[in-house]
Amino acid sequence: MDEHEVLEMLKEKGVSFKKIPWARYGYVVEDEPIDLGKTVEHMLGLIYIQAPISMVPVEVLNPKPGEKVLDLCAAPGSKSTQIAQLLDGLGVLVANDVSFDRVKALASNLQRFGVLNVIITLMDGRKFPRFARECFDKVLVDAPCSSLGIVSKNWGIARSWSLELAKRLSKLQRQLILAGFDCLKPGGELVYATCTLTVEENEMVIQYLLERRENAVLKEIDLPSLRYRCGIVEWDGMKLDEELEKTIRIMPYDNWAEGFYVARVSKEGGS
Amino acid sequence: MKLLSPRERRFLENRLRSLYGVEACFNALILIKCGRRRIRAATKETMELASRLRGVQQLGLYVMKISDGDISLSVEGSQLLDGEIKDNVIELDEEQVEKWMKAIPIKTEKTYRGRYVVGKFNHLYLGSARVSRNGLLYPQIPKWRRIP
Repeated sequence: MDEHEVLEMLKEKGVSFKKIPWARYGYVVEDEPIDLGKTVEHMLGLIYIQAPISMVPVEVLNPKPGEKVLDLCAAPGSKSTQIAQLLDGLGVLVANDVSFDRVKALASNLQRFGVLNVIITLMDGRKFPRFARECFDKVLVDAPCSSLGIVSKNWGIARSWSLELAKRLSKLQRQLILAGFDCLKPGGELVYATCTLTVEENEMVIQYLLERRENAVLKEIDLPSLRYRCGIVEWDGMKLDEELEKTIRIMPYDNWAEGFYVARVSKEGGS
Repeated sequence: MKLLSPRERRFLENRLRSLYGVEACFNALILIKCGRRRIRAATKETMELASRLRGVQQLGLYVMKISDGDISLSVEGSQLLDGEIKDNVIELDEEQVEKWMKAIPIKTEKTYRGRYVVGKFNHLYLGSARVSRNGLLYPQIPKWRRIP
């Protein structure tokens, strides 16, 4: 069943939507007379419900049919299903997570979506290069973060936030991005994303990668009609790498949606 | 997880032919046994990469369950065989689809060969339902994907 047939089915139920210009299969629901999460279309995996800005990292990653793609922190699977759709059944998707409970949700979502070319692994993402070094064409590191970008949905996040938490997570994020980068084939691309806004968890993580891996090169990101700003290159009296301007910060008030940080890094040395 | 032997695969193909009239099934795919009766399907490339990785929990897609020679197809399993399933199919109307996805038993007047039938709504296959002796169909929709 193709995209238009599914849209027709939803239209018949009175659902109206608008195409997201920068997401190939993304639509924003404008009028929802029924709970979409309780429809047959949802249960059959014809549609997947997620926040629009969450689709940005995979659009930037741009997986192509035939590629081997690693989603290092995959659960609950919103981005994995999006990757699978773009792979179109060709190539392989490895969806990994460290939590057993979260992997169960990931497996359910990938089953519902009918993904044949997927491997679900349960392990600490930091250990992946031990057996999958230079194995993947694309790697997504959607790292665990302090989630400041979704405070508008959950005020509790702001109450429990602290600089110590951000610094502790930053340590984990640095190890994850190095692991993800080491799993890339030369010429491959990695996308790092968080739904938080602190420099410690974003630009400083990328700076750490650039300092430790000489063949890591930042790439420009271009998403038409999406409002975003450049990455920060000066913070707390400290000058960061000028190249960090190529990374993007999406502030919650830019699009009246969640906040996100996204960086696109390529591994030099491929043909 | 273990690959299906050629003999087991032949048995499965024969059963699918006699129960659902399926002539060609899962040709380009690898079939894997997981647990005692469950079968998953994956691409060759996926299997090759999985052999290199650690911590593999699942591979490919759950497509069917075998019980006493009968085959119950999952929603995705029946959709993979799209166009191939000819026998033991029940065409559902909109109201029955709702019931099916809520795993509510559906009354049927027809008699079917075997213990399972496949549900179909327009072009969509909805997996198998168990046929009971009292003429009720029990859709095999797992709890996690039922419409509440």
